Amino acid sequence: MTAGAWLCLCAPLAGALLITLLGTTVSRRTAAWISTTSVFIAFAGAVWSFLGLRSHGSEHGVVSTAWTWLDSGGFKVGLSVLVDPLSTMMMLIVTGVGGLIVLYSIGYMDGDEEERRYFAYMSLFVFSMLMLVQGGNLLLLLVGWGLVGLSSYLLIGFWHEKPSAVAAAKKAFVMNAVGDATMALAFFVLIAHSRSLEFATSFATAGHLSSTTVNLVALGLLGGAAAKSAQIPLHTWLPDAMEGPTPVSALIHAATMVTAGVYLIARMHPLFEQAPTAADVTAIGGGATLLIAATIALVQTDIKRVIAYSTMSQIGYMFLGAGVGAYANSMFHLMTHAFFKALLFMGAGLVIHALAGEQDIRKMGGIGKVMPRTKWMFLIASLALVGIFPFAGFFSKDSIIAATMNVGWYGWVFWVCALLGTFLTGLYTFRLYFIVFPGEPSAFVQEHHHDHHGLEGPWTMLIPVGVLTVLAAIGGWIQFSAYWHPLTSWLEPAARTLGIAEPSTTQEWISSGLALGLGIAGIALAYLLYGARQLAVPRFAAVQRALEHKLYFDEAYDALFYKPATAFASWLGHEVEDQMILPAGPDLATGALDRSRAVRRLQTGILRTYVLFIGMGTAVLAVVFLVVR
Amino acid sequence: MQGAALMGPGVVWYVGIAAFLFGIGALGVLVRRNPLIVLLSLEIMLNGANLALIAFARSAGNGAGQIFALAVMAVAASEVCVGLGLVVALHRRRLAMDVDQLSELRG
Repeated sequence: MTAGAWLCLCAPLAGALLITLLGTTVSRRTAAWISTTSVFIAFAGAVWSFLGLRSHGSEHGVVSTAWTWLDSGGFKVGLSVLVDPLSTMMMLIVTGVGGLIVLYSIGYMDGDEEERRYFAYMSLFVFSMLMLVQGGNLLLLLVGWGLVGLSSYLLIGFWHEKPSAVAAAKKAFVMNAVGDATMALAFFVLIAHSRSLEFATSFATAGHLSSTTVNLVALGLLGGAAAKSAQIPLHTWLPDAMEGPTPVSALIHAATMVTAGVYLIARMHPLFEQAPTAADVTAIGGGATLLIAATIALVQTDIKRVIAYSTMSQIGYMFLGAGVGAYANSMFHLMTHAFFKALLFMGAGLVIHALAGEQDIRKMGGIGKVMPRTKWMFLIASLALVGIFPFAGFFSKDSIIAATMNVGWYGWVFWVCALLGTFLTGLYTFRLYFIVFPGEPSAFVQEHHHDHHGLEGPWTMLIPVGVLTVLAAIGGWIQFSAYWHPLTSWLEPAARTLGIAEPSTTQEWISSGLALGLGIAGIALAYLLYGARQLAVPRFAAVQRALEHKLYFDEAYDALFYKPATAFASWLGHEVEDQMILPAGPDLATGALDRSRAVRRLQTGILRTYVLFIGMGTAVLAVVFLVVR
Repeated sequence: MQGAALMGPGVVWYVGIAAFLFGIGALGVLVRRNPLIVLLSLEIMLNGANLALIAFARSAGNGAGQIFALAVMAVAASEVCVGLGLVVALHRRRLAMDVDQLSELRG
């Protein structure tokens, strides 16, 4: 079982190295298959460790150490992987969905000049993500965390000849670096108090720490989680990250990397339970993000950006669940979200692919006519996203909503937020659907659409889409909170759901009913506004403008951080550099020259004067010695 | 005292002669300009120092000073090699045999 975990971790790394080392000696297609195979081997390894863990019983999490990696005084860190229910679940999601998306990339990236580089990055990303979820201690988790940030940067900026892609990559990296920094600070505090970064030791120490310290550590971790998972206020990079190739958006910015924050909170839950303030901040941040992102999604016109904001909103749900203690429900939503969100991105990718790179939904009307299968697939994914019975989102999202009911008076605020969120989800998801798919094909579609011999894409793209459609449709049935909950029981030893976050069956039913009703209401409104066009889209110019500017977050950060920093820098340039540093150089030089001109007279070049000076010096010394004695 | 048991003048005389030799040598180095003579004067200084070393060694009844004098001789021999080599080279190039004119290193 640990062998499976190591296989899972090393296969994608080997794939990335192989592609890099082989370079141009293999064809682009071979490089693509190397990458795909490596990720599927990793999936086999994940299944192996899952089965092994099942036969041992899920409470037996194992840490397998290859060797001691760092040894400094009393502080030791091993290169180790952790196999427990939580990590195996993440391994399965990352390699399973990841493998499908890499397979999809073969079709999507076909013909790109730098395909080999792309597939090497993809393998590297999968390795990094596995490192993150499998790391046997917090330091390895941080290593994975950083590597994931790096590969995300590389993939967002993959089309490096596009200035906007490069800018987006830099933005993602900088925003994530803020989170990495707070996380590293949290680790320093933890090392100072527990002298260890092992999970078990730090959880054990957390119990005896002062509440301020625990809250500080938890807030630091939350900073990292919020940056990686694009939660307010560190979310601004995610919409821009859509500059990367669409499979990248599907893999990194929907299915796996952005959910790392949820994984981190679930993994570190004993700490968050000791730090109620930090847990509340998590839930508040999640609640705020899910509403704000959903409203912004209402006005976006880029097909991928709508889905990106929807991702933020859904991760808001997961943070909300994790914040109130329903870790298993969050992880469940993480899983189903990986299915249907990857599917939505893949559907968007098929559309973009068929329209030769066009992403503006205003030009796409009626594409369902020429791409009927994509339309159905997109419809299923959208229904799953809104949480309509019997698709995947229904089961996972509603259990999070129900979990907020017991947490106290502010739990009700969250509950209302979450329900409002389902309405908005229905509205923005089906706004996208009704604008893009039904109806007669627009002029743009008729002009630009080109099909692949009757298929809607190459088979490498269609197979993953098919598999994920099935998963998005029925994947939620694995857990029906009120009746059966194998996932919660499986995760019990690693991330026990708090008693407070366990709703009664009645509460489950009320939440589900309301969420379903509001979701359908959202869909109906979207139909009236955009499908049947029976209602005029209401216009509130100020609101519209604010939402189109993403509520001015970018502008605010610009004014708060960038502008003062550049102003300070130019002040330093004018006042300090020009006035003090630049003149100082010549001054120093001429000064030194003057002094040396005076001193060099002593060097007469005449040997006898030197001897005289030596003799005089010796005489003085002799006198000094004699007299002082 | 071992020195007292031997016949001959006391250590002060030896030191006096050593200082005299050293002084002659130093004066030679200071006032003469011919490099050959400067080298000779240097040798005289060294020998003055050697004489003092040996005198003190005898007076203290300790061999260390004599060993030291031997070492000084070895150094003196090598110094003469280099110095005479320089003098011959100067002569070959028909340069002035005057240390004051050989002042390339003046500031």
